Amino acid sequence: MISVTTPVVERTNVKKTYMLGKVPVNALQGVNLKVEKGDFVAISGPSGSGKSTLLNMIGALDKPTEGKVFIEGVNVSTLNDNGLADLRRRIGFVFQFFNLIPRLTARGNVELTMSITGLGRDERRKRAEGLLETVGLKERVNHKPAELSGGERQRVAIARALANNPKFLLMDEPTGNIDSKTAKEIIELVMRLNEEKGATIIIVTHDQQIASQAKRTVQMLDGLIV
Amino acid sequence: MKVSDVLSYAFGAIRLRKLRAGLTTLGVVIGIAAIVALLSISQGLQDTITEQLQTGFATDTLIVSAGGGFGMGPGAMTATESDFKLLINYTQIINELENVRVAVAIIQKASYVKFGEREFILTIVGVNFTKYTNIYSSTFVAETGEIPLDPENETVVVGKRVSDPWKNGTSFCDVDDTVEIIWTNASRLPPKNETYVGHVAAVLKEIGGFSLTGPSDFSVYIPISQAQSFFGTDECDMIIVQLENDDEATIESVSEAIDEAFSGQVSVTSSTAVLDIISSVFSTVEIFLAGIAAISLLVAGIGIMNIMIVSLMERTREIGILKALGMKSRTVLLIFLSEAVIVGLMGAAFGIASGWGLANVVARVFSGGGGFMGAGNHAAAAGRMTITPVLTPTVFLGALAFGLIVSVIFALYPAWRASKLKPVEALRYE
Repeated sequence: MISVTTPVVERTNVKKTYMLGKVPVNALQGVNLKVEKGDFVAISGPSGSGKSTLLNMIGALDKPTEGKVFIEGVNVSTLNDNGLADLRRRIGFVFQFFNLIPRLTARGNVELTMSITGLGRDERRKRAEGLLETVGLKERVNHKPAELSGGERQRVAIARALANNPKFLLMDEPTGNIDSKTAKEIIELVMRLNEEKGATIIIVTHDQQIASQAKRTVQMLDGLIV
Repeated sequence: MKVSDVLSYAFGAIRLRKLRAGLTTLGVVIGIAAIVALLSISQGLQDTITEQLQTGFATDTLIVSAGGGFGMGPGAMTATESDFKLLINYTQIINELENVRVAVAIIQKASYVKFGEREFILTIVGVNFTKYTNIYSSTFVAETGEIPLDPENETVVVGKRVSDPWKNGTSFCDVDDTVEIIWTNASRLPPKNETYVGHVAAVLKEIGGFSLTGPSDFSVYIPISQAQSFFGTDECDMIIVQLENDDEATIESVSEAIDEAFSGQVSVTSSTAVLDIISSVFSTVEIFLAGIAAISLLVAGIGIMNIMIVSLMERTREIGILKALGMKSRTVLLIFLSEAVIVGLMGAAFGIASGWGLANVVARVFSGGGGFMGAGNHAAAAGRMTITPVLTPTVFLGALAFGLIVSVIFALYPAWRASKLKPVEALRYE
């Protein structure tokens, strides 16, 4: 069982098999993970170890083949498309490749998350500007992703992930595509969010330095937590 | 997600690819413009013809001709094989029928007409001026000179365009001039040229373009008695019957009475029947034209679909992001459909405007033609005709709705596919 910020205790191993072309891939072969409120967990492991699949489970982007995934007290397997979409709004996802919408400005990207939940124009504009200020991009709100550096884009992505007051923050290799100095700043920002605001943080990384900053490290290998 | 946010997101996506969106829109513009132009011109044409027929071809008249129908009826060309001859004095028989006000016989032949040095083939109409004036009191009216009601010998009344064919004051003949009408009598051997020298008593007021039986701008009128001896015949080409009123019942009863009086050997055509035929012909033509135009819109629709499928592939990752951020499938569908709606609406709006412009240009060019040379040898001469394109609210709203519907229908499949994308796969898409 995987449970995130959920007061549920149940022991069923989570398995996930998906088809890569015609070849079945056993990405998760029986995983148990429990993340509590205010936790800061680093998941690390070599590529192919099932990190991303685990992340997709936690981010409600995918359903397990076997076992149960509880997020915010909800069994993901029981949800339909709409239910999953609703659940995702409560998760702050920071992708490895930023995944910003290129034609929107930094503020537009942050606002988009809030417009999806139906927040009013004025309110979301104010909030977007506040969040961009928090991540140190006050001067760059009207810039498009192409006009921002890798580190700046990652901060926009973090601001976007925080926009809907998520229950926890999910980060996939947040420092994978940026230089080490910026990476350090990003990590400091994330730690501050965890310490000062009590945000629950799950971070996938194979950067041992970052992993060492986390309160807890989970090591993966061949679809299992070791 | 709020509707306004969906729309502004869709609009932003369109604005990003201006050229592509512009070309897609152009397809819709062309389709809609074609529909609007064709329909508004044909509507204008129908209105013009109907109006002219109603003035030139009084609704309270019937046309009696030998054998088949009058040009328009089924079998017009084939039913004239009998020996029956429509004689001029048959007007007396018709005059005695109930509800008939007056019957006038018309002889109509194409002849050479000489004005000094110039020579033209025109329609010579032999008619009783007094009766004809009574029936067509608004169109058989002299502009200069006076229509001789008790015609002397050898008088001639000419249509406006015979006197002034190019509308620029070049006068071919005027009141008091002498014209020579030369008709070749081919019914005897050897054929003989007959000449009628007439004195122009009046030039008619301009009638405007179209007339099937009434006075025409392109005809030369001579008294029926003169025509009878000049053409050497007792036969007439048609008898125009004016009724007491234009009630449906009257038209029908008189038609039947005439038919009976001549034992079914004549055909009786009412002006309302002709109008009915014309409007039914027009609606067929309109459906046909709209159908052709609709094909171009169909092509535009396929263009929209094509573009949206390309756009869908390009934006797979974007859709993945939107879904990962918690956007519902329904909202993704709405975004794609909104893009189609925007393209469809803009296309329809520009299409209606340019179609309307096109219709006006075409109408102007078309109206500029005609003139003397366009005149046929028949009283049904299509002369100068002014077409005013008519954009009915039905056509306007129909075009708008059609553009919109086509756009949305062709966007449905790509939009549906976009909405069904799985976020995990869409995010992995390169």
